[in-house]
Amino acid sequence: LFKSLTRGVKNITGGAVLTEEDLEPILKKFKTELMTRNVAAEVADKLSESVRRSLVGKTTGRFTSMASTVKQALKESMETLLTPKKSIDVLRAALAAKNAGRVYTIVFLGVNGVGKSTNLAKVAYYLKHKGGLDVLICACDTFRAGAVEQLKTHSRCLDVPLFERGYGKDPAEIAKNAIAHAKSNGHDVVLVDTAGRMQDNEPLMRALAKLVAINSPDLVLFVGEALVGNDAIDQVTKFNRSLVDLSADPRNPRGIDGMLLTKYDTVDDKVGAALSMVYVTGQPVVFVGTGQKYTHLRKMQAKEVVKTLLG
Amino acid sequence: MVLGELGQRITASFRRLNQAPIIDDDLLDEVLKEIAAALLHADVNVRYVSELRSNVKKRVLLESDASGVNKRKLIQKAVVEELVRLVSTDRKPYKLEKGKCNIIMFVGLQGSGKTTTCTKYAHHYNRKGWKTALVCADTFRAGAFDQLKQNASKVRIPFYGDYNETDPVKIAEEGVELFKKEKYDLIIVDTSGRHKQEAALFDEMQQVAEVVAPNDIIFIMDSHIGQACFDQAKAFREVVDIGSVIITKLDGHAKGGGALSAVSATNSPIIFLGTGEHFDEFQPFDAQSFVSRLLGMGDLKGLFQT
Ligand SMILES: Nc1nc2c(ncn2[C@@H]2O[C@H](COP(=O)(O)OP(=O)(O)OP(=O)(O)O)[C@@H](O)[C@H]2O)c(=O)[nH]1
Ligand SMILES: Nc1nc2c(ncn2[C@@H]2O[C@H](COP(=O)(O)OP(=O)(O)OP(=O)(O)O)[C@@H](O)[C@H]2O)c(=O)[nH]1
Ligand SMILES: [Mg+2]
Ligand SMILES: [Mg+2]
Repeated sequence: LFKSLTRGVKNITGGAVLTEEDLEPILKKFKTELMTRNVAAEVADKLSESVRRSLVGKTTGRFTSMASTVKQALKESMETLLTPKKSIDVLRAALAAKNAGRVYTIVFLGVNGVGKSTNLAKVAYYLKHKGGLDVLICACDTFRAGAVEQLKTHSRCLDVPLFERGYGKDPAEIAKNAIAHAKSNGHDVVLVDTAGRMQDNEPLMRALAKLVAINSPDLVLFVGEALVGNDAIDQVTKFNRSLVDLSADPRNPRGIDGMLLTKYDTVDDKVGAALSMVYVTGQPVVFVGTGQKYTHLRKMQAKEVVKTLLG
Repeated sequence: MVLGELGQRITASFRRLNQAPIIDDDLLDEVLKEIAAALLHADVNVRYVSELRSNVKKRVLLESDASGVNKRKLIQKAVVEELVRLVSTDRKPYKLEKGKCNIIMFVGLQGSGKTTTCTKYAHHYNRKGWKTALVCADTFRAGAFDQLKQNASKVRIPFYGDYNETDPVKIAEEGVELFKKEKYDLIIVDTSGRHKQEAALFDEMQQVAEVVAPNDIIFIMDSHIGQACFDQAKAFREVVDIGSVIITKLDGHAKGGGALSAVSATNSPIIFLGTGEHFDEFQPFDAQSFVSRLLGMGDLKGLFQT
């Protein structure tokens, strides 16, 4: 990206004052490149705007070219964006809950087919093997064909118990029963799988909000795929809003707490969805899914994402 | 309406053209910029957007200078034609032949909607009186066979699969063989999700295609996809002979434009759209009427005839 970006400005030497006119062509190209790497249009706009604002009128260093000044500014603003203000350490939180004698609950939600159930299984593997925690998987997708059997298979492979009530039942009720079951049977963590749904499907969004409101989980994880384009913004915004609007306690509204970004292994350098989702929610990416095996789960490194985007 | 937001934005630009007293180059640039922004916002491949923009501009400059025809109409016509071009190809889709054994294989990225869509597809033809069957050649995904089995049972379509067999090539071969013998008109083979970064998965797809010898391979694309679509679709096309595309999940607020680049990446026409989780939420696709509905223009032919 930077090679092509800065070709036009190589001739400007250090000690120059940056003007709107200097920056305009670079930023325009920058925006296009970001979009090519799957950053949502709106986010690419806002980012280049903030870089413009921070650079106009600045003097480039004595030995630095305008190109490297712009590059530095872009890198910094993206890294700041991707470095969460709060970080979530699921393992530590779950262990702390266990020590306090509480069951730690995570709800996984998102649109259809993004990888909720598979990555739930990966989180179960992680908590079990990394933290020695006793995990219970809870099957609250009571709609999609094979959803329960899918979790049954994971439960068997992982040797982690499954709480299920088949199809057609009220998911909020099942989750409630699972948490109660975990308490009385000494499980440490409950991982709640939910059915995929489109963010504009009101009845389904309401049902999801009810599940969260009734059970007040410790962590609500929005699962989004790295493949998603501009819809990323709409998805996270509307999932969050639905939960907030239907919170159990209106004075203390509850939205999504963090994100799990899946299929990171399928996008090469087009990793812009990470940026879009974080930009919109201000919430951290708690895990990144990088494949279809249980071990394909890791934490996100802001520097690495930025490097890929600007590489 | 799927892609409604894109339609609205382009229509608004057209209205602006219609209301302007004169159309100079500045206005043309502005309108094209608006349209480009709308397309980018709908995830249309960045490269196509800039192509579309320069194609329209070139045509307008060329044709209006020479013939002095109505510039307004010319611009709109050029935009519409470029949009139609984006969602279509000259290549005709495979035409199923009743009474013959048609074997159709479904492929695509993980979670794109293959298993759901092959059930919709089977249901669509079954209702029209075709003798239809489903084969589950996904031995990888947890619960894959149960999913297909439950789907098939809901729409009462015979299916084949095996809980214990781990080789998808073997299952595909056996299933197709079985239904062929029983003289089915339409045999549909569902496969695992895969992506170009994993060579072993692409090899497997090729092997399944070899034993199944399908009449058509349908590429299933999720409408939520952004800029990664083109590369993935192209990679699939390089390994197996894709002949048709189905775009799924258009019932969401999906922008959907990213998925459209699967058409040129595979040089294959879109044949259906998926618009919901239920098996009847499925529509045949025609490029011209799609674009005309998108822009609320009624019959496009009127525009083309002048
Ligand atoms: N390559 C890759 N595939 C993944 C990843 N995570 C999940 N998948 C695959 O994506 C597909 C869908 O995953 P699921 O876990 O069933 O998705 P879901 O969100 O639970 O789907 P619904 O419940 O139907 O909404 C499966 O084939 C998974 O193996 C990942 O990180 N990388
Ligand atoms: N809303 C909506 N959901 C859909 C549509 N098509 C499929 N889905 C959902 O998308 C999710 C994934 O669909 P599947 O059919 O399992 O996808 P797949 O491609 O077979 O997935 P893998 O086999 O894991 O690669 C499921 O939750 C489906 O119900 C659609 O048109 N609209
Ligand atoms: Mg699921
Ligand atoms: Mg499937």
